Amino acid sequence: MVAISSLTAVLSYAIALCGIVPLFPWLTTAPRFALAAGMLAGIWQDRRGAWPVKNWQFNLAVVPVFLYYALQFSRANPAQPVVNALAIMLAVRLCGGKSVRHYLQIAALSLFCLASSSLFDLSPIFLFYLALMLLLVAVSLVLLTFHSLDSSLVLPRAHLRKVLAVGMLMPLASLPLLVIFFPILPRTQIPLWNILAVPAARPSGFSDKVEPGTSATVGESRTIAFRAEMPRQPKQQLYWRGTVFNSMDGHRWVRNPAVPPEQLLYKGARIAQTVYPEPGPFRALFSLDAPASIALPRAQGAPDGVFAYPGPITRRLAYGAESVTSGILATVTGINRSFYLRLPPRIPERIQRLADDVKRRGTGDARRLELLEQFFRNGNYRYSMRDLPTGEDALEQFLFEKKRGHCEFFASAFALLLRAAGVPARLVGGYLGGDYNELGGYYLVSDDLAHVWVEAYIDGRGWVRVDPSSFARNAGEVWGGEKRQSPTMKIHLFLDSLDHTWNRAIVTYDFEQQAEIARNAGKRLQKLETGKTARAFLPYLLLTAALALALAVILRRPRLFASRNERLLRRFYRLIERDCGIRAETGRLGLFETAGLTGNDAVREFTAIYAGALYRDRKLTAHEIARLNRILRDGFVTKM
Amino acid sequence: MTLPHDNRTMIAMLNTLSSDYLHGKEEVLRLSMIALLTGGHILIEDLPGLGKTTIALALAGMSSLSFGRVQCTSDLLPSDITGLSVFNREEGQFTFLPGPIFNNIVLLDEVNRAMPRTQSAMLEAMEERRVTVEGMTHHLPDPFMVFATQNPSDQSGTFPLPESQLDRFLICTGIGYPPEHLERGIIAGGGIRERLEGMTPVASTADILAARKSVETGIYLSDKVVGYIYALVAATRSHAMIQTGLSTRAAINLAQAARAAAFLEGRDYVAPDDVRGIAVAVCAHRLVMRPDQETADRGGVLRALIADIALPLA
Repeated sequence: MVAISSLTAVLSYAIALCGIVPLFPWLTTAPRFALAAGMLAGIWQDRRGAWPVKNWQFNLAVVPVFLYYALQFSRANPAQPVVNALAIMLAVRLCGGKSVRHYLQIAALSLFCLASSSLFDLSPIFLFYLALMLLLVAVSLVLLTFHSLDSSLVLPRAHLRKVLAVGMLMPLASLPLLVIFFPILPRTQIPLWNILAVPAARPSGFSDKVEPGTSATVGESRTIAFRAEMPRQPKQQLYWRGTVFNSMDGHRWVRNPAVPPEQLLYKGARIAQTVYPEPGPFRALFSLDAPASIALPRAQGAPDGVFAYPGPITRRLAYGAESVTSGILATVTGINRSFYLRLPPRIPERIQRLADDVKRRGTGDARRLELLEQFFRNGNYRYSMRDLPTGEDALEQFLFEKKRGHCEFFASAFALLLRAAGVPARLVGGYLGGDYNELGGYYLVSDDLAHVWVEAYIDGRGWVRVDPSSFARNAGEVWGGEKRQSPTMKIHLFLDSLDHTWNRAIVTYDFEQQAEIARNAGKRLQKLETGKTARAFLPYLLLTAALALALAVILRRPRLFASRNERLLRRFYRLIERDCGIRAETGRLGLFETAGLTGNDAVREFTAIYAGALYRDRKLTAHEIARLNRILRDGFVTKM
Repeated sequence: MTLPHDNRTMIAMLNTLSSDYLHGKEEVLRLSMIALLTGGHILIEDLPGLGKTTIALALAGMSSLSFGRVQCTSDLLPSDITGLSVFNREEGQFTFLPGPIFNNIVLLDEVNRAMPRTQSAMLEAMEERRVTVEGMTHHLPDPFMVFATQNPSDQSGTFPLPESQLDRFLICTGIGYPPEHLERGIIAGGGIRERLEGMTPVASTADILAARKSVETGIYLSDKVVGYIYALVAATRSHAMIQTGLSTRAAINLAQAARAAAFLEGRDYVAPDDVRGIAVAVCAHRLVMRPDQETADRGGVLRALIADIALPLA
């Protein structure tokens, strides 16, 4: 036995939690405190059964709060006061005494709270809360109808189960409507009032300059940078090109926007990919090195194979890219050698000496590159994220003393040496590697994979990708071998694929796609061919039919999966009705009473055999079943 | 199907009684037989002159059982029923003279006219099957069956039996008027009291005891039927018009009576039909109705209640 009143109270607190939890991080302190206090006070008072403060007193007390938030309201800050006021109203309702009207108000306010949380954040967890809340609200509404009739009603468990089942069925029944409404209704891709908050919150491993020596350690963040849908690629080809740093001023590499014109030739197989960048303050559009094309309106391509978005990527985008992963970028004509040989005004003497040495020993660009590679390979350099050289002469320290550093040190020093030795070179910034998500079929690239490598221009071949970090003594430890996926990593990837699906299917689904669907539907309708359509619809029809059948089977299970006795009895009653004109309602008339009414010997015999087994608690023997079937086959028509 | 061999005698006895002697009284006779076969007692509530005594006499005569009769009045003493000790001058000691209760079938006519003290003594004897007089315990004969009657219309100067004592009667039933054609025949043929004198017994005491034994042990009571009986009893306990539902003793009696009914049907197992057939007779008089429902027809309430309980058929 369960009291309706306690059940509705528990449900309404659960509903309130569904609204409060997603909104909580976005509230200011006072409403947060009010919500927590209101909830606890409400539960406590409900348990005690006494509400010392009347609801009208509460309502009166809220008025100044309203005024306060109304004064806070401005065009610059339209959402926060509204949301805070909403939260306080919910808190007040939670802690007051509750009639049916108040329960409904709590449900409505909680729904508003949940909805307003989407002003700040569009994460898939919203769907979870929404689904949970709809389910709870439906059940709660059903219970409230009972509650409004008799608040002291107590339901036995069996009845309660039925009520709950009905309550849960209602939202489920509305699912088909969801499928219809989803493509039609307008939507937003960005949290409406929080356009800047999300990107700013994201720390990044990728930056717009390469400046080794600014700090002795480098933190690693697992924040997602982007996802790229594509087939699995060999690990050594997973260089994601973002930008090119083409000039060195002092001790840092930056991108000079005046890129000298050159024409790159993309030879070899093209790998198609769809990239979903996380919104962030950067404009670089990443893709597998090197992208031949990126299909995104307003994306700007530079001559050095870099694509960028005109502004920061503040909303969820998706773009297709085609890449050639050979690692060599041939050019149609030559390049502006002097631009890519430009050096900072003052180079440390030791570095200049080393470069001169290389220049002297190697006659061509290719030979000089080889010599430098040998120097790095034999130089006993270590790849490290800690205890890094710092200061103005960080590169010099890295090359000759500490001999440890991360990719920025390796790449900066290598490119500087190349240029000093007369080989045109530039830095490429991007990411290296990525976790392949088998479930979603995409690479997950996180910020800790940010990487910088070098492109050297060799006459006759073109831009050659060189990754100096791979010359480190411990490069094998850092990159070598397949990373074993730990169970937590697998779970992480699974959850991420859910997140990705949500972004892909729900958040980035915009008006363009709606229009696209409508256009396609129109086109298809125009060239509709009956046979083809029938074939195309057949699977859906079959699916629907199968679902309907399954539903029918479930609903009529007792009839369809009747025991042998029930089947016999059903036939028996049908025959009685047909042959003897006695309509026996099942369970209302005893077998022997029925037999007595018909006055038919065959009926008597059937009854005797059937009841003899049934009421002796034993199964009918094969012989008896055969006999019963024979009786039923012959029917009960009285032989004259 | 195997029949218990000794039910043929009982069925024959029932058939002879209803076809040769007591026309139109099949139901009462069947219920009386059920009471006899389960060792219970029967209370017949009906107007005088409908054959209550005749039924008791006929039953006794058919089964060669001894018959005793007590006409209850308000000055009837317990010793008038149980018997008393009389000083025997020749032997110089008290000898016990057994009362009419020391018979196999005892007719207590108009039992509600006796004083509560007498009623209670008698009902105690019914339950215990023995009588204690002046410190001596005397066992009553076996089989022992009380055939009590009461007149429902005339309530003045009566002591209605309390619920606890009504509960001791296995069966309570009416007789009703016989159907028209039978009554015409009875009017034409006159009473049958004289003919009853010359009845030839069909069954012996041993037959009856054997039949009783096989009712007790030879009739299978399925779990399904037990469930049905329980559902019935439970339904009376939560009914809106009933203050006190059926006791566990009532449920036991219901099962016993159903066994006997199945036995008389020639079956060695109980069907729910048997339970339904005797439920009103066994249960109605034990229901205590709510004060505002005192006048309601208990049989009708019970019948409506039974109609709502699904029979276990598969």
